Amino acid sequence: MTDDQENVTPAPETARHLAPGDVGLVTPRDFVHREPFTFRSGQTLPGFTLRYETYGGLNAARDNVIVICHALSGDHHCAGWHTPQDRKPGWWNNLIGAGKAVDTRRFFVVCANVLGGCQGSSGPSSLNAETGRPHGTTFPFVTIRDMVRAQKLLLDHLGVTGVHAVVGGSMGGMQALQFAIEYPRLVRRVLAMATTGRESAQAIAFNEVGRQAIMQDPAWNRGDYQRDGGPRVGLAIARMMAHITYVSDASMDRKFGRRKKDTAAPEAYTFDLQFEVESYLRHQGQSFINRFDANSYLYITRALDQFDLEEGGLTLEQAFAPVEAETLVVGFTSDWLFPPAQNRRLALALLRAGKRASYAELATDLGHDSFLLESEDLYALVRAFLEREGTEPVNYEI
Amino acid sequence: MPRTSEKRTVDMQVIGDWVEPGARVLDLGCGQGALLHYLVQSKQVSAVGVDLDFAKVTACVRRGLCAHQGDMTRFMRDFPEKHFDRVICSRTVQELADPAAVILEALRVGRAVTVGFVNHGFWKNRLNALLQGSKIRNEVYTTEWFESRPSNPVTVLDFERFCGAKGIRIARRAHLAGDWRTPCAALPNLLAGYALYDLAR
Repeated sequence: MTDDQENVTPAPETARHLAPGDVGLVTPRDFVHREPFTFRSGQTLPGFTLRYETYGGLNAARDNVIVICHALSGDHHCAGWHTPQDRKPGWWNNLIGAGKAVDTRRFFVVCANVLGGCQGSSGPSSLNAETGRPHGTTFPFVTIRDMVRAQKLLLDHLGVTGVHAVVGGSMGGMQALQFAIEYPRLVRRVLAMATTGRESAQAIAFNEVGRQAIMQDPAWNRGDYQRDGGPRVGLAIARMMAHITYVSDASMDRKFGRRKKDTAAPEAYTFDLQFEVESYLRHQGQSFINRFDANSYLYITRALDQFDLEEGGLTLEQAFAPVEAETLVVGFTSDWLFPPAQNRRLALALLRAGKRASYAELATDLGHDSFLLESEDLYALVRAFLEREGTEPVNYEI
Repeated sequence: MPRTSEKRTVDMQVIGDWVEPGARVLDLGCGQGALLHYLVQSKQVSAVGVDLDFAKVTACVRRGLCAHQGDMTRFMRDFPEKHFDRVICSRTVQELADPAAVILEALRVGRAVTVGFVNHGFWKNRLNALLQGSKIRNEVYTTEWFESRPSNPVTVLDFERFCGAKGIRIARRAHLAGDWRTPCAALPNLLAGYALYDLAR
């Protein structure tokens, strides 16, 4: 996910958090699980923390729940504002709110930072209680399934009895599908966008370049570094490279073309900043290192690479056999990281397995990050799927 | 109610009569899902529609239907033989680039195939060509040629010849008169306004 300002609706400087439909000021909370948790790798933690946010109210039956799953560099803050001074709202603020496509007047929205993340949930940068130092690479390897199992424990903690829908794009889409496989009786709908059942060699390759940029930075020190230190150069390069995979040739060309920076040196024969696109990528890299942990980047990209619904010779139909949820998969025509064909394939396999599944393909030229797009067409589809017939009337608990 | 929507209802009733309750039904060119919605309501079918258009798929999803945005032939290629109890191709066949390929693929993935189309051989259509010398415009053909999708003027005679040539068995047929309501007993190629076929291999 990019830090792209374009995805943010400009609002007046004063009281932007009071914009109509916005969930307003929100406060993250921590769920502390105090029992041992065994990862898929067999490694264990004595407990873990998930930082999460909720919007809207839980109904009396405690089943009007929409779980939002975030992508690689996202977090639990998917809507609203932490302070009135925030530069921008949560990353899916355009989709989530009162009267928006994910309607918080109707649904109780839960979003947690994934296990292995670095925005408050347990991950390599959180402190190991035994040593008093960050876990670093002693943190257990994390899989998409581990992330989902941890979120299920959060839902249990919240007393959730049923999940109306799990919604996510990219890695969030993987989690949404895994949710439906892992907890078929809990999850009624799945909305997975710009995702895949297994990454292609190309997607793994991009992640590996990012990891190498981090690990070849001497400051990585085999993952052992202090919180505000670490492989900042490597992480910034990883981010710059990854950012290119989230957009498209057409959208970059439209945004930057070959325009030069005003401050560019007058002669072209220099390696100093020349093109606007260079400046933009450097900014992307710099803003990322201020909010993201390099080890988390290694762990989460590894989880992405290892996610494979066809692991062990399973067909996708076999993988989806337990699913009881209705599924909507959305692909985006210009997404070359998780291309439409990989999204379509998921919906087709669900149908072949006898499940209820739909596939829609939105024509955009913004690349993989199109799922974050401000698009009335996308909003209409999301709303249609979440509020379609069969939705039980909701009794609100005040 | 405008006459076209009245006609649509008649069409749906005939197709509904042929669909077995609870069947797994695929609708090729499902549009906004009106037919599938009717079949779900009246016959409790498990329904999937295919359409090229995002807004139409959205409309289907809103109705609680499963819909797949994409090319119908490509969609069918991803399914094993006889996966569907019935494949429906209602008022779509005349606009297909390769109708034979679609119908044969539908016969592979479906145990039965329903094809419905406006009979271009209907006497009024013939008369129109003869007397007006222009593209037909009436409550069925509502648009000018330059704002219409390409369309094959298929007739009852053409369609039955096609089935004969491809060895397709016609299990049932329904020919409706110009009002799309009264059964048309004789000379269907001349007197039927609308034709429905139930095909099998």
